[in-house]
Amino acid sequence: MQSLKEYKINFFNFVNQENAKLALLLNLIEPRCGGVLLAGKRGTGKSTLLRAFCDILKQLKIPSVQLPINATEEAVLGGIDIEETIKTGKRVFQRGLLSRANRGFLVIEDINLFPQDILSIVFEVQAREENIIEREGITLREPVQFQILATMNPEEADFSSHFLDRFGICVIMDEVRDKDKKVEILKLNALDECHFTEQYQLFKKILKYKDFIKKVKVSDEIKEFIADLILKEAVSGHRGDIYLYYASKAFAAYREEETVTEEHVQAVAPLVLNHRRRTIEPEPEEKKHEQEHETDSSNNSENRQEQKDREQKTPLSQSQESHDGKSQSIPSSEKEEVFPIGEKFKVKRFIFKKDRIVRQTTGRRTKTKTKGRGGRYVRSLMQKRPDIAIDATLRAAAPFQKLRAMKDNVVIFDDDLRYKEKERRMSHNVIFVVDGSGSMGVEQRMKATKGAVLSLLIDCYQKRDKVAMIVFRKDRAEIVLPPTSSVELAQRRLKEIPTGGKTPLGAGILEAYKLIKKIRLKELESRFIVIIITDGRGNVSISNNPPLKELESVCFLLRGFPHVDFIVIDTENKKGFLKMDMALKIAHLLEARYATLENIKAEDLTEIVREVHQTA
Amino acid sequence: MIFPFTAIVDQEEMKLAIILNVIDPSIGGVLIMGEKGTAKSTTVRALADLLPEIEVIKGCRFCCSPQGPFCSDCLDKIEKNQALENEKKKMRVVELPLGVTEDRVVGSLDIEHAIKRGEKRFEPGILADANRNFLYVDEVNLLEDHIVDLLLDSAAMGINTVEREGVSFVHPARFILVGTMNPEEGELRPQLLDRFGLCVQVNSIRDKALRVEILKRKAEFDDDPEGFHKKWQNAQEEIAEKIINAKERLKDIAITEESVSAVVDITAELNLDGHRADLVMLKTARAFAAFSGRAEITQEDIKKIAPLALRHRLKRLPFEDISQEAEKLHAILERI
Repeated sequence: MQSLKEYKINFFNFVNQENAKLALLLNLIEPRCGGVLLAGKRGTGKSTLLRAFCDILKQLKIPSVQLPINATEEAVLGGIDIEETIKTGKRVFQRGLLSRANRGFLVIEDINLFPQDILSIVFEVQAREENIIEREGITLREPVQFQILATMNPEEADFSSHFLDRFGICVIMDEVRDKDKKVEILKLNALDECHFTEQYQLFKKILKYKDFIKKVKVSDEIKEFIADLILKEAVSGHRGDIYLYYASKAFAAYREEETVTEEHVQAVAPLVLNHRRRTIEPEPEEKKHEQEHETDSSNNSENRQEQKDREQKTPLSQSQESHDGKSQSIPSSEKEEVFPIGEKFKVKRFIFKKDRIVRQTTGRRTKTKTKGRGGRYVRSLMQKRPDIAIDATLRAAAPFQKLRAMKDNVVIFDDDLRYKEKERRMSHNVIFVVDGSGSMGVEQRMKATKGAVLSLLIDCYQKRDKVAMIVFRKDRAEIVLPPTSSVELAQRRLKEIPTGGKTPLGAGILEAYKLIKKIRLKELESRFIVIIITDGRGNVSISNNPPLKELESVCFLLRGFPHVDFIVIDTENKKGFLKMDMALKIAHLLEARYATLENIKAEDLTEIVREVHQTA
Repeated sequence: MIFPFTAIVDQEEMKLAIILNVIDPSIGGVLIMGEKGTAKSTTVRALADLLPEIEVIKGCRFCCSPQGPFCSDCLDKIEKNQALENEKKKMRVVELPLGVTEDRVVGSLDIEHAIKRGEKRFEPGILADANRNFLYVDEVNLLEDHIVDLLLDSAAMGINTVEREGVSFVHPARFILVGTMNPEEGELRPQLLDRFGLCVQVNSIRDKALRVEILKRKAEFDDDPEGFHKKWQNAQEEIAEKIINAKERLKDIAITEESVSAVVDITAELNLDGHRADLVMLKTARAFAAFSGRAEITQEDIKKIAPLALRHRLKRLPFEDISQEAEKLHAILERI
């Protein structure tokens, strides 16, 4: 009875969430469906449902293994069994988590909080359907077939689309809003009801479906229908086709129908395809403008006159003249333009040097890895590190004990020593907060700004930092580039940033705050550099407060984080007539380093760095 | 059961790049870049079936070539004037999994041997297995830095030197490096990038008929792997034989003055650093000529393989727009 109390809620009486239940059942019927990812806010029953499902698995004698968030590589893949190895003097293998999940399910709760490297290993083994162990002197190949059942709360952290693609089915779990159903859920939780017979029936059914699917036929027309559907949905890769094929087949078996119909395919298509859609980027509204600008820059001399007329003023070289009020009227216009990336220049190791000061350690990536004793122990290394990994050292020494004539003590030689590698490598996260408002469009400031961002990005690339980009314009801020180490992606996104509209500066900074908060959940030790590129003329707020007031409170919020540094790059034309120096004010609010677009070039930058040196 | 190589739909460039490396292992491997789910790994794993036999020293754990270089074991025998016999062995695809530890890459002490016989003996690691074979790294861009260091080290020297527990051992480690990666997941270290002889870019297929064909074959394979293999056996044998023929004829392919100058013209115009690109292009063109059954390298051969050899070398600096360079290459090739 004990176990029944524990699982008061079982798979059968779980209220609502029909899609999620269907997805799990399909995977049970046809293991080639590719696993399930349940995504939803907290309290939507993701974990409860999974646990209920695992309960069914248990009764069907299908293994399900939970991957704990602190699992090391050894624990996941398997390694030396120390005790047995010392006894026998032969390397004895201890099975890892993955091999225990063989022919069953691996359960990963909150998969988006897991470190990438462990997930890479898990997915690699899953795809190969074989665990190749090359560890600590052990070479072994064991067939491992498992499906992954995972949950994630997208609010907490991002999840790589690459991993997302590996899942056959993804279900978004919404909150139950229907009152009757809410009552039902509440009752279920409060009462000690159990549905013995119903659950038994369910088992019998599942076994029947599993048998039935062998009879299910898929015609060529249906295969073509699947291909058509995939092409229409602009899904990337070929996994979608294959998973949709098997899911449709399983669904037909679930309906106990022997031939797969278009209706079957359509019923499961959203489950298989939702998470696979390419984010189709909206065509820039005024592509024509972009092209015009490009020709402008190439045939500068010819077009200069026209450009002058349209742009009111020519770029930097002639900007010594004072502005008239006319050019200031453009900023708030809704005109939208996409500027090409301006000239890039050398910003040699700006971030890097600055970083060194902040941390009072050498900022090189590898050194950051070793610094300090905190952090998560990911793997053991033969290369020297401050912490000795006792487990790995013992494992390394274990096979030799007989040879070394061990009596009461384990004999350890220098060669056996293994060291801990800690997970604090992802130390830099650089967040660009870029002003995309109309005021940036004047005089091709945006072009120069993009040039500056690109120059800074190159620096980040060299240091293997992760970069993210937030653009604020019109009435909101948007993460155009979630944290990534792919420079190409960053550059592409940079190119596409449009300008136009008002300046919700507060929203932009708030978005940076949210992003940092999110990343810190996963990588507690991360260091952040927030680079705000703006002319500072925030003119719209997202709260009830006036823009300036809002800015102050958001800046205060952001400053509360430890390990975050700020750089404000002022894009305002300092030789202009209506100089407001608002960005400087923000720099003060954030205690940020401050530079203007004009003095960010290499020589000036070394000055900034030196200056920072002295103040730090 | 592995999906047969010949049954993989389309992706001809990827298949060709791999085959050319089998024909001439000194080309230096392939890097396969592409988005998720484009049969990158499937293709490389399928390669194992097609690999020919190579001449090795009998009983050598490192597959030493009769022409050398030799491992410590073989050198011992040579010193003692023992006769070395030859035997034939099938080439293999050796995998380097992501969670590998350093001692398994370079090798360590053979404990059982030490306990039983009381003598220290070297236990070969993955680099030893990979000698003269294919070394395959899935998601090569996600490989740990300290493992990449080991790879670069032995790739540069062609030799793996081990000093551990009083055992010192040297053995040749010349492998054909094959890596797959999804560039969206992160960059590859430039040093490692340069080590790859060829580079291919794979994309998902947009053609509906081909997509249906993929689905059909995949479903057929899943339902009856053995039957599927039988069905494709002829095609597999045919291509395996074509590879063996090309391998034998490789040395007879004439490298004409024209072909050398054509290669140099291209690399000079693109302003590439170093000589690796020239060498790789010439070797690849030769292998392609052999595979196509020609007696000498033609301009067409060079034109065909140039993108393979140059694609990843065009990009010299991060962020530099490579599309411009790619267009330039395209323009140069058009003229040929």
